[in-house]
Amino acid sequence: MPGPLDGVLVLDLGQFLAGPYAPMILSDLGATVIKIEPTRGDSMRYGSPFIGCQRGKLDLALDLKQPEAAEIVLKLAEKADVLHHNMTKGTATRLGVDFDQVTARNPEIVYCNTYAYGLEGPMSISGGIDPLYQAVVGLEYEAGGVEHGNPPMYIRFGMTDTANAFASVVGVLSALFHRKVTGKGQDVWTSLLNGGAMFVSEVAKLADGTTAPTRPSLDKELTGLSPCYRLYQTQEGWIQVAATTPTEWATMCALLGAPELGADPRFASFEGRAAARAEIEPRLEQAFGARTALVWAALFDAQGVPAEVAVDTRNGETVLHDADNERLGLVASYDHPMLGHMTQFGSLIDFSDTPTGDFGPPPMLGQHSRAILSKFGWADAEIDGLIERGVVYQAAEGVPYPWPL
Amino acid sequence: MPGALDGIRILDLSWGVAGPLGVMLLADQGADVIKVEPPGGDPFRDAPGSPVWHRSRRSVVLDLKQADGKEAFLKLCETADVLVEAFSPGTMAALGLSYEDLSSRFPRLIYASVPAYPEGHRYASRPGWDALVQARSGAQFEQPAWRPGPAHLHMQIPSMGAFFLLATGILAALTSREDSGKGQHVSTSLYQGVLAYTTMLWQDVEHLKAPDSLVMAKTYPPGVHQVSIYECANGEWLHAGVNVGRVATRSMEEILGIEPLDQMRMMTDMAYRAENQQRLRDAFITRDRTQLCEEFFEAGVGADPILTIAEGFDYPQMRANNMVVSVDDPEFGLMEQYGVPAVLSETPGEVQGGRPRVGEHSRKILAELGYDDSTLDRLAADGVI
Repeated sequence: MPGPLDGVLVLDLGQFLAGPYAPMILSDLGATVIKIEPTRGDSMRYGSPFIGCQRGKLDLALDLKQPEAAEIVLKLAEKADVLHHNMTKGTATRLGVDFDQVTARNPEIVYCNTYAYGLEGPMSISGGIDPLYQAVVGLEYEAGGVEHGNPPMYIRFGMTDTANAFASVVGVLSALFHRKVTGKGQDVWTSLLNGGAMFVSEVAKLADGTTAPTRPSLDKELTGLSPCYRLYQTQEGWIQVAATTPTEWATMCALLGAPELGADPRFASFEGRAAARAEIEPRLEQAFGARTALVWAALFDAQGVPAEVAVDTRNGETVLHDADNERLGLVASYDHPMLGHMTQFGSLIDFSDTPTGDFGPPPMLGQHSRAILSKFGWADAEIDGLIERGVVYQAAEGVPYPWPL
Repeated sequence: MPGALDGIRILDLSWGVAGPLGVMLLADQGADVIKVEPPGGDPFRDAPGSPVWHRSRRSVVLDLKQADGKEAFLKLCETADVLVEAFSPGTMAALGLSYEDLSSRFPRLIYASVPAYPEGHRYASRPGWDALVQARSGAQFEQPAWRPGPAHLHMQIPSMGAFFLLATGILAALTSREDSGKGQHVSTSLYQGVLAYTTMLWQDVEHLKAPDSLVMAKTYPPGVHQVSIYECANGEWLHAGVNVGRVATRSMEEILGIEPLDQMRMMTDMAYRAENQQRLRDAFITRDRTQLCEEFFEAGVGADPILTIAEGFDYPQMRANNMVVSVDDPEFGLMEQYGVPAVLSETPGEVQGGRPRVGEHSRKILAELGYDDSTLDRLAADGVI
């Protein structure tokens, strides 16, 4: 299906996760994305994260250290709407594909370079990976409960890589929209640091150094923010409750056999409960231990107390093979010549008039090199020469990778 | 500063986190955002985040349950490009303001929804608190705590995925509308917000070699990157020793003065890792964090201090990126907030001002629609505005 970005051509020179994920989102939205990959392969091709951010792309393997390869990129850029990559500062210039070099050939292009730290400044010469930005924006400190004496904790979801990718998607689409209206292209940049800042954007800092408004803090056991908004361990499994209104709180306490906690005026507010965790929680924790999470959830549902069993998806297994998720396109499956049958998340955004879906599998290294060059005007003999000189790598039929998988 | 979305008007009926924050991204790129609040104001105005996520927009109070309020809202829709709502399913339909109700009358309107779960899903009527979606989606079990079992994530992963998806969906629909002339219904959800963060975790692949999926494996105590977290002198913490794509002139072990380690084995061989973790801890605990950071940077090895959220505002690179901006809030006064994460050279956009007071612009905005003073007085007396 076409998707809202049908007809948009994107060149993706990114590697790892933060670079390629944004173009994958653009591909999901219907853009044609050419992944321009080093002939030795994306540095992440060896690991499972690679396949999470490459689906639906066409693959052109180029040795960008050879000047002929840069010329290929520039020729393609003449036809492209977007060029996107996450090279470290100075690399694009060295390779001959920086903003000035590309816009000399196509002044209307939207050019996006995502960085680890940023464009200028003390750390800007450096690349980086997700944990560093989780560290400096405060995520690791907060997630671990360091104020209670715990070590900091890395959040496993590749948070700032993903945030960087999405910040650049928002930047690129804003620029693309502006170009649709005015015909003008421009330069866009963002960084893992900038993207990561969005996760803690609810905190603002006053002149005296304090933050506002006051936020509840996580407890030492990492269960939650208040007796009415936390995880409880049950006889079997864990349950997350969100009994935030006075009625929900009173009902929950009554169901747990502690109606006096629900009636106590000191605990009438979220903050009041949060301040009295040590007094309230031992009682509730013990009560939760008397039944399973499933039973509590059913009791709470019947009485209108918001709660969910904390589901162990067994590393995503149950989510990826859920009937509703399959029916609604929230998961996507494809066959890959080397990787076999694969399943990962599907539509992240749904469009009524320009539906997306039927995403293709991640491409193999150099899978479409010849086809892409041929389509964009290179003659067969020229392509043969480029392959012979090692400027271009075309996966041979039946031998898609130059190394054993 | 010119913004890429100059001239685009958004009616924001959303509340919570994902809607207001997603709209903030668009407001900072120049969109003219009108926050449409119920009488008494958005109930999340007292919640953390409100001064930031409600910035760069004007506020109009409309009681959509009253006929006059709904009529004023429909007049506003005539002037709008985008409508954003984050109610539970059925709420907008009950008001007669569903996508189906509005699309034939306003064919260019982009109608964006961000509920907790996708429409038509069996969870769609489940309550939408962020932590409940964390639990239901499995995100909490994917993040092992310092004890067996799931961890509650203070950083709200479902909402923090959905706000980007919301802004992305609206921008894609706006771009598409330039060609088609038509608006459409765009929807995402907190549940899909979690899925957006599973690129490295949730892959079901028939022929993937087992060790390839071990790098990010869920272990207890948790996670491969946890082993790069070290306590330095004075109780300060450091995330150290990661590859930052530079040619290292000295290794982490050299800087610490200990025997070299096989970094690949540290990632995949649990016994080897455990054996060497203590040696590393002993080496870090005596060192000064600031000095170590400098040495690591000098040597081309990645390391950064583990800061509190407040300290993050003063991280020098954050300032160098102009990510910290001063915003005047009607309740708290001048405050520093995080700014615009994507920087556009020609249309950089900017924070368009602090959060409005409840209904601050009601009369002005309705006057722009042609309401005269006596009508506005009557609407105010009736509690419509």
